[in-house]
Amino acid sequence: MTRVRVTAPRQSAAPTSSRVLHTQEAAEDSDAGRIFVRSLIRSQLRLALVVACGFLIILAVFATILVYGPGVAGTRVFGIPLDWLTLGVGIYPVIGLSAWLYNRAAARNEARYQDLVEDK
Amino acid sequence: MNPAVGLFAFLAVSLATAVIGFYGLRVSRTTSDFYVASRTVPPWWNASAIGGEYLSAASFLGVAGLILLSGTDALWFPVGYTAGYLMLLLFVAAPLRRSGAYTIPDFTEARLDSAVVRRVTSLVVVAVGWLYIVPQLHGAALTIRITTGLPSWVGSTAVVAVVCLTVVAGGMRSITFVQAFQYWLKLTALAVPVVFILLVLSANGTPPQATLPINPTGQAAAGAYQHISLLVALLFGTLGLPHVLVRFYTNPDGQSARRTTLIVLGLLSVFYLFPTVSGALGRMFAPGLALTGQADALVLLLPGKLIGGMAGDLLSALVVAGAFAAFLSTTSGLVVSLSGVISQDLFGGSVRGFRLAAVMAAVVPLGFAFMTDTLALAGSVGLVFAFTASTICPVLLLGIWWRGLTDVGAIAGMVTGALLCGGAMVMGALLGAANAPAWLAQPAAWSVPAAFTVTVAASLLTKNRVPSSVNRVMSRLHVPERPVATER
Repeated sequence: MTRVRVTAPRQSAAPTSSRVLHTQEAAEDSDAGRIFVRSLIRSQLRLALVVACGFLIILAVFATILVYGPGVAGTRVFGIPLDWLTLGVGIYPVIGLSAWLYNRAAARNEARYQDLVEDK
Repeated sequence: MNPAVGLFAFLAVSLATAVIGFYGLRVSRTTSDFYVASRTVPPWWNASAIGGEYLSAASFLGVAGLILLSGTDALWFPVGYTAGYLMLLLFVAAPLRRSGAYTIPDFTEARLDSAVVRRVTSLVVVAVGWLYIVPQLHGAALTIRITTGLPSWVGSTAVVAVVCLTVVAGGMRSITFVQAFQYWLKLTALAVPVVFILLVLSANGTPPQATLPINPTGQAAAGAYQHISLLVALLFGTLGLPHVLVRFYTNPDGQSARRTTLIVLGLLSVFYLFPTVSGALGRMFAPGLALTGQADALVLLLPGKLIGGMAGDLLSALVVAGAFAAFLSTTSGLVVSLSGVISQDLFGGSVRGFRLAAVMAAVVPLGFAFMTDTLALAGSVGLVFAFTASTICPVLLLGIWWRGLTDVGAIAGMVTGALLCGGAMVMGALLGAANAPAWLAQPAAWSVPAAFTVTVAASLLTKNRVPSSVNRVMSRLHVPERPVATER
């Protein structure tokens, strides 16, 4: 773990490498750069919304089946009622999987943006 | 339970906290060290620390207690607490780290280029923090009262004293170590007794006193409105919690902020299995606790009740230690983030100011805790999430993703959310838990959309106030700071 000394507390997280400055400048200084940034933001937002909606739909389906599925909630798997099993255990892997898929896709969006900026 | 057990466990945790806190003192000397641990904490450490900080009294005691009281309805709490982190990952984690701000007020000031917005955000953040510390202190009071028989105020005062000492001594660097340690302590403290109890029960073939679907209190089941409102509060409240957000600044960059969040999700998922099993065990083997108003103490009392003897005492000591780890870590996390905010606004951001602010941040909620009492920890923390979701969340989400946000919009949204949600909380408290209608008891489902609507509408009406720096700030939030290719 390397220590970084920063004396002024606020707004001190300025980009550190020249590479970063390069991409930042490219982003701000030209019309093309501005368009790239806009499309990056839009694709990241779309991705986040898709994952969030997907997860919420799965959650809603779970809940609906448990409430309205006749006899589903009382069904026992290994002696544990199904509603306890799905809400207490089953939902967590879904959350983890959504997060993992999002991380991969978000990093891919950023890589694509960087390729665009560097090709320019 | 033997009173010495509880006392010993509390002293051991406090001592461990202090030792790790002081160990951190040697490496934290600059202002930046104090605020954000110089942003060089590796993802695993950071994730454990986030887990340690996030898992509060509500998670450690409250979830199991609420499951004992209301069964599957209560399972939505841990689901919401965890899924809130998913929302944080999707919408906030990386951009917020890239913003380079230390606190939420720093972020809103930089994004909207307005000192007034900063003031308002600071007020809201301090209110949220204080509201959130109070249930932690209630939890400490309950634990001390149940396990040692000492008066309630001893528990809350002791927690505030230990937190003040560690924060004043080491700032954030040592807090990171303390909290990472406390996550693993909390997990052990819940997991070992649960596994032990399961083994003993299955070895003895003890028949359960009640079966799972049976409701010991005969409470009415929550309707769809309550579930939806609770989920809105937890999903959107998590991403505005000040003590959670400040943790993201300790990641070196946006990508590692995401990786850290993914690890946190794993840690939370594993943790919540155990309060769930404890709650289910309580329903089956100790349903009587629900009737005597001791539901929140279920986790503490279960080992003594089901195992007893020496082994029961040892397991109880472990659980009490875990419970105090929960109160200490969440309270100190909140105190660190609050003192960051208070000291920058009041004392100009010096280390001395940070220490003064830390004491202020911890002592005020102690007063609130003395004056109030709580029946269900998970429920009262749920209300704080609703408040956060109605105030900080709209500004944060719209600030990160929408260029059209203006200072007027942000202030109007925060004030609307605070008035609506705060008003509902006060009204609900005046009417009492039994008489308050569902829409007052769980305000998030209408107060959060209202806050969003007002923020957007006021911003659209003041289009000319969109700051000129918006393009620069937005590209800073979203453009990756390092070539992604070398990351993998």
